[in-house]
Amino acid sequence: MKIEIKNLKKKFNENFVLKDISLTIEKNKSTIILGESGCGKSVLIKTIYKLFGFDSGSILYDGKTEVDIDKFSMLFQYGALFDSLKISENIAFTDFINNKTNFERKVLSLMNDVGLNKSIFDRYPSELSGGMKKRAALARALYKNPKVIFLDEPTTGLDPINSDKINDLILEVITKRRITAVSITHDIKSAIKTGDKYYFICDGIIQDKGDCKNILKTKNKFFKSFITGAKY
Amino acid sequence: MKIIENIGKFVIKLFSNLGKFFLFTLFFFKYLFKPKFYLKNNLSYFVNIFISSIPIIALTGIFSGMVLALQSYTGFSRFSAESAIPNIVVLTLTRELGPVLTGLMISARVGSSIAAEIATMRVTEQIDALKTLNTNYYNYLVTPRVLSLTLALPIFVTLVDFIGVMGGYIVSVHRLGFNDNLYLLNTIDFLSLGDYLSGIFKAFVFGFIISIVSCYCGLFSDKGAFGVGSATTNAVVISSVLILSSNYFLTELFF
Repeated sequence: MKIEIKNLKKKFNENFVLKDISLTIEKNKSTIILGESGCGKSVLIKTIYKLFGFDSGSILYDGKTEVDIDKFSMLFQYGALFDSLKISENIAFTDFINNKTNFERKVLSLMNDVGLNKSIFDRYPSELSGGMKKRAALARALYKNPKVIFLDEPTTGLDPINSDKINDLILEVITKRRITAVSITHDIKSAIKTGDKYYFICDGIIQDKGDCKNILKTKNKFFKSFITGAKY
Repeated sequence: MKIIENIGKFVIKLFSNLGKFFLFTLFFFKYLFKPKFYLKNNLSYFVNIFISSIPIIALTGIFSGMVLALQSYTGFSRFSAESAIPNIVVLTLTRELGPVLTGLMISARVGSSIAAEIATMRVTEQIDALKTLNTNYYNYLVTPRVLSLTLALPIFVTLVDFIGVMGGYIVSVHRLGFNDNLYLLNTIDFLSLGDYLSGIFKAFVFGFIISIVSCYCGLFSDKGAFGVGSATTNAVVISSVLILSSNYFLTELFF
């Protein structure tokens, strides 16, 4: 699914978080959204997902303003697994709450795809490490075979080795399943590894964009400052 | 000028919250009759509330009944009306103390846990996750809690009434020297169905108040640990104040 965003504005109370955002998310490509903390990246993907409304501008999904959000999935920053449910029930959430019982095989297959051992099938989220929770959350996001997956800082809180494993996994999953991916990250290494196109947001507007493989060659002073950590 | 500005902000926030709460309650009724009804979720929540609250309910009932018998004796013995103690105990418990004390205890025990659980779900993006999984949070979170507590509270009040009367019986018979058969006979003869039902009606209303207020405080909490703490405190304080104030109007209704 191709998603086109034009002149999007979104405010909370009187404060504009997104001032003028225009970007295109290409079908079956991985788009990375970069930016400082609090610049509105999460608000942007939740607005695209229709979890939030917006004040002006437009979002077109394959050229239409309406979309069935059942085609979307999201991997939340800290997994957002339901604490009171087992891992298997979390992954097959929609089937589980509708009292369908034949989800075991599909859950086990997804657990295998994301590198989770079947021994945690009946465990609760509180019993898992951060990396395992992320994998379980990714399995839940993939359960409904989405056309677009939104990844909100998928490597946050993970050590470099686990971050790299999660990046490999994301790359494998989106390539194998031919899913359109939209990721938010602070991590330049992850962006280069998993992304096709990037957009850099600063102060509510797109400051820079381009191919992920050219991130380090950027001429934009704001983005350069973001990458190097130096003040402009 | 700063004081006037702050008062103005407070009044605007108060009315804005009242409006939001009113809309939230309307949406609850709207989704109550929508086809998506998670029976398993509703039942398990009801059982959970019921089992976890029984000990506190039993303690509330027994000590209320015992204290009531002792205090009534102190007063009534001054004008030789000790024989009215069984009547006073049963009437006070069924019409007043049973529903109010149970409501306050359940607001502390269950209301706080509902608000804290939902607020934590909000802070950890689990509410957003529900939306992304095409699940309406009114159906999944609010309806089971409101229905369970609204239906459970009358059962709790019946238990408090019964255990309270037994508490009064124990103190009256074993401490104050009442005749056991006469005590029970007086209690049963004096109690009318209307007394019991007025308490049960109050229980329905209090159960609804506690659950809807707690769900609202949880769902609209501020972010972070402070937000969860405030949501829990607000849920208990607002429910308790509403129970005590609505109790007057309900009593007027059955006066």
